[in-house]
Amino acid sequence: MNGFLYGFVLQWKLDLRSRTMLITCYAVPLLFFAVMGGIFTSVMPESKETLIQSMTVFAVTMGALIGLPPSLAEIYRSDVKNAYQANGVPLSLGLILTNLSAFFHLLVMSFILYVIAPIAFDVKIPEYPEIYWGGLIILIAVSLSIASIIGLAVKDTANTSMFSILLFLPSTMLSGIMFPVDLLPKPFEIAGKLFPAAWGYRLMIESTFTVHTLWPLIVIFLAAVALCCILLKKIRTR
Amino acid sequence: MTNAIQVNGLRKSYGAKEVLKGIDLCVRRGDIFALLGVNGAGKTTTLECIEGLRKYDGGSISVNGSIGIHLQSAALPAHIKGLEAVRLFSKWNRTNADASMLTALGTDSIANQQYQEMSTGQKRRLHLALALIRNPDIVFLDEPTAGLDVEGRISLHEYIRNLKGQGKTILLASHDMAEVESLCDSIAILKDGEIAFQGTVMELTEKIGKHYNIHIQTDKGTEHYESDDIGNSLLAILKHYQEKNTMIQDIQVDRGSLEQHFLKIAKGE
Repeated sequence: MNGFLYGFVLQWKLDLRSRTMLITCYAVPLLFFAVMGGIFTSVMPESKETLIQSMTVFAVTMGALIGLPPSLAEIYRSDVKNAYQANGVPLSLGLILTNLSAFFHLLVMSFILYVIAPIAFDVKIPEYPEIYWGGLIILIAVSLSIASIIGLAVKDTANTSMFSILLFLPSTMLSGIMFPVDLLPKPFEIAGKLFPAAWGYRLMIESTFTVHTLWPLIVIFLAAVALCCILLKKIRTR
Repeated sequence: MTNAIQVNGLRKSYGAKEVLKGIDLCVRRGDIFALLGVNGAGKTTTLECIEGLRKYDGGSISVNGSIGIHLQSAALPAHIKGLEAVRLFSKWNRTNADASMLTALGTDSIANQQYQEMSTGQKRRLHLALALIRNPDIVFLDEPTAGLDVEGRISLHEYIRNLKGQGKTILLASHDMAEVESLCDSIAILKDGEIAFQGTVMELTEKIGKHYNIHIQTDKGTEHYESDDIGNSLLAILKHYQEKNTMIQDIQVDRGSLEQHFLKIAKGE
C-alpha cells in the first residue's frame, strides 16, 4: 500500500476515533433526521417528496462545516504541521486526506439516510437517483471546500467552532430545506443563495443538471480551492 | 574530508529585529555538536534555517548528507497510534521502517497507544523514531530531553551515543549543560545572534582561563574561593587558616563546570 492510500485509510480510522467527527457526521444528523423527519412528515405530508434531499443537505452541511474544521485546525494550527514538514511529508497531504476522508464519511451518512428514510417515514426516494447522487457529490465537495477555508484560516482553534456555526446556521435556515425559500423575506432569500446548501438542495431535487444551478456551485468551489491554496502557502512559509 | 554542515554569514530577521547576525558554523562529520545559548539567542532559528524549514535573509548553508529532524515543537494527531505514525511517515518516504524503529528506542509499548495517551518521554522517543525513519546521515535534535525524567534522559543519551557509533553526525540544541558535557565533541555558543564561541569543551575551559573553585571545610563551616592560580592560592589559604589556628577538615578543588563557563560567555557573568 503506498503512502497516499495508507494515509487515506489511516485518516478514515482517525476520524472514526474522533468524537467530533462521529457526532457531527453521524450522531447529530441521525438524531435530527429522527426528530424532524417525524415532525415534517406529520405536519407537512408533502415534505415526503423531498425529505431525503432536505435531511441529506442538513447532514452534509453540518458534517462539512462543523466536522471538518477541527480536524484541519488540529494539523495546521498546532505543531502537527511541524512534524509533517520535518519528516518529508507535503503540508498539503493533511488537507487532501482529511477532505477525502470526510467526503466518504458524508457519502456513507447520506446513503444511510437514503436507505432508512423510506422505511422510517414512508418517504419517496428521489425520482432521478443519478441526478440526486451527482448533486450530492457536488454539494459535499463544495461544502468541504468552504469548511477547509475555516480550518486553514482561523488561527485560534477554539474559534473554528464559532465561524463554523456562523456559516452553518444561515446555510441550513436559508437553503429551503426547512421551509420554501419563497416564504422568506427577499434579503434572506438572496442571502441564502450565497451558500452552497441552497444550490445543492435545488440540484438534488431537479430532474436534470442545469447550468443555472451548477455555475454558482462551481464558482464557489473554484474560489474556495484557490483561497485554500493561498492559505496553505501562507502556512508553509516560515 | 568535507564537513557535514558548513554555515557562512547566516542572517535572519523577524521584522525589524535581527535574530541572526552573520553566523559561521562548522560541524565535522561524525561529531555530536551542541548549539548553546540562552532563551532567544537564536538556536532554534539557526537549526530551522539549516534544516531548510525556515527561510533566511543572507549567507550560505551547506548540508552534506541526508537529514532527520527532531523538532522542539512537534506533535501528531491526538488519535494516531505509535506504529501507525511510523508506518505513515515510512510509507510516505518509501522506506521499510516498521515496529523495529520503536523496538530500537525501547518503546514497543506505544505501538498501539494513541498519541494523546503517551507520556512526554514516549512522545519524544516517537518523534526521534520518525526523525530516523529515512536513516539520515545527519540528525538534528532540538531539546531532545526536555521534560524527560532522569531515567529517560540516561537512556536517550545512550541512544544518541549509539547513533554516533553508527557514524551519524548529530547537531543538538540543548539547555542541559551536563548533557552537553557528557555527549558532545564540540560546541558553539550563540549570544545575541552571533557565535560567541566555537570549539571543544576543553578549548572553552582554556579560553575562559584555568578557573578553579576551592571549597574549605572547617569546624566553623565551609568557605568557597575562586582562583586562576591554584598553587599559590592554596598555599595562601592554608597559611591563612594556620595563622588563625583553625582546623581544616576537608579541602575540595574543582575546575569550573561547563555551566559556569557557558554563563560567562553567554551572559557575561
